[in-house]
Amino acid sequence: MTQKIVFRVAAAALNLSFFAVSFAVAEEFPSPLPTETLLTINKLPAKYPTGWAFLNYSTNRIELRNVASDSGAVKGNLQSRDSATLLVSDTRPEIYVADTVWSRGTRGVRTDFISIYDRETLNPVGEIVLPGAKRGLMTAMEGMFAFTDDQKMALVFDLTPQALVTVVDLVNRKVLGDIEIPGCALVYPTGKRGFSTLCSSGTMLSVQLDANGAAVSRSETKVFNPLDSDPLFTASTELAGIHYFPSFHGRIQAIDLRGDAAKILSDWPLVPAADISGNWRPSGWQILASDEHKLLYILMQRNGHEGTHKEPANEVWVYDPTSKTRVHRLPLVRPGTSLALTHGPEALMLVQAGERLDVYDLKGALLRSLDLPGFNTRMQMEPLR
Amino acid sequence: MAQFDHLAEKMLRGFASRTSRRSIFTVLGSLLAGAATLPLLPVARAQDTGNLQDPGDPSRCDYWRYCAIDGSLCSCYGGSVTACPPGTEMSPVTWIGTCRNPADQRNYIISYNDCCGGVPWGRCACQRNEGDRPVVRPQNNNEITWCFGTQSQSYTCTVALVLGVAIDQK
Repeated sequence: MTQKIVFRVAAAALNLSFFAVSFAVAEEFPSPLPTETLLTINKLPAKYPTGWAFLNYSTNRIELRNVASDSGAVKGNLQSRDSATLLVSDTRPEIYVADTVWSRGTRGVRTDFISIYDRETLNPVGEIVLPGAKRGLMTAMEGMFAFTDDQKMALVFDLTPQALVTVVDLVNRKVLGDIEIPGCALVYPTGKRGFSTLCSSGTMLSVQLDANGAAVSRSETKVFNPLDSDPLFTASTELAGIHYFPSFHGRIQAIDLRGDAAKILSDWPLVPAADISGNWRPSGWQILASDEHKLLYILMQRNGHEGTHKEPANEVWVYDPTSKTRVHRLPLVRPGTSLALTHGPEALMLVQAGERLDVYDLKGALLRSLDLPGFNTRMQMEPLR
Repeated sequence: MAQFDHLAEKMLRGFASRTSRRSIFTVLGSLLAGAATLPLLPVARAQDTGNLQDPGDPSRCDYWRYCAIDGSLCSCYGGSVTACPPGTEMSPVTWIGTCRNPADQRNYIISYNDCCGGVPWGRCACQRNEGDRPVVRPQNNNEITWCFGTQSQSYTCTVALVLGVAIDQK
């Protein structure tokens, strides 16, 4: 009997204390949380900030990331399945992803296609099916998918292993036709409506197109790319229509792609005499970029040798292509494989280093390091303008 | 010295009186059986080719034939260094590299055939680029998915076959 009374008194005390606590909390938060709207989906701004960049993981996604914030917030993702490559339009509110899928996962009917996404919603608003199951399947790289004709057309590099270029009308969302480029690879926009392509003979072939996507002129340069002794990387950066291609052993080759045909300009050494003993060479994947002050930024590896041309680089060297001299040397906090620069007044240097994206200012100070969860391939970065 | 001989004789006699010839065989047999069992214990072991002229572990990136490989090793997917895993198809069109065999010090032409249409999941991913050249020279490029002439062009893994001795032995 006495025990029962004790229990009752204890229970009453507990109730009283709970009530007291609830009362105190309710006084601190007098209103309940408001009811929230169901089915809300975030929207992106019509013009993305220049601190954002698309990161192509070369596997299963293309991630839109705010690299200018310490949180490195993910703003959205685009689907990618096999060798997907990205183009972001400045003239239409659209984003294009060239991709390949099979109807049963890794088997079944193959479809190559360009997905068209709305810039604000990232909803797929259209697609262009690419015929012939011939789109080049390889690690995402520059030159697989490019604009021409003021972004009214796109060019898709095909490899079966016959080399072709599919010409696509992006305005009317249809395929116009194919251009054969035997022995050549990748596309670099050239002139008003055309492209150039690097050839295994060490030349560059330029093709101009008519409004229907048919070839109207072809011209080939002299041999300038020594593929056996010191080949050019296929990664380039562009400054006012001049493309700069680094070579395996440390040259840089300028090529003027403003006219109908590629014009081979001079090449010059990247490694000053004082550093030759360090065996410095360009290396990585997305190896170089350029800023709005017309400077080139190049990933450089110490003690490079045959077979290390895709390995991470130790420093970024900055060059003035007018004087052909190195103007800065920026050591990296950890070796990096891909490099890009954001645009705008407070430009940032992005360096993918393993599963990290290191964000530096253009003087080489590390501002933040963002995670790249699950990343184990090669990254192609596309900062927004 | 005589004391030492006496002590040794006493120990041996004691040992002989406690043991039989058969028990000696039992102990020796156990030791031999134990030694033979040690390699069978479930510990991770390197898989050697078993051929002294082809040294190394085909499930590791540092195996000599993989000097220009970029991809997953079929040895880790149910295939081998020369065979695709079940459920895949081997591409007849390939890229080639030249690798030096550390055993016989010869350079060999290696054909890197991709196996296609299976289940890729990134196991035993290797990246070596000796002799790799830009995609402009596709036959020496390891970034391309070499699934040509197969029903599916979806990449699974890569094998490395000896095609012959290279002409250039430098």
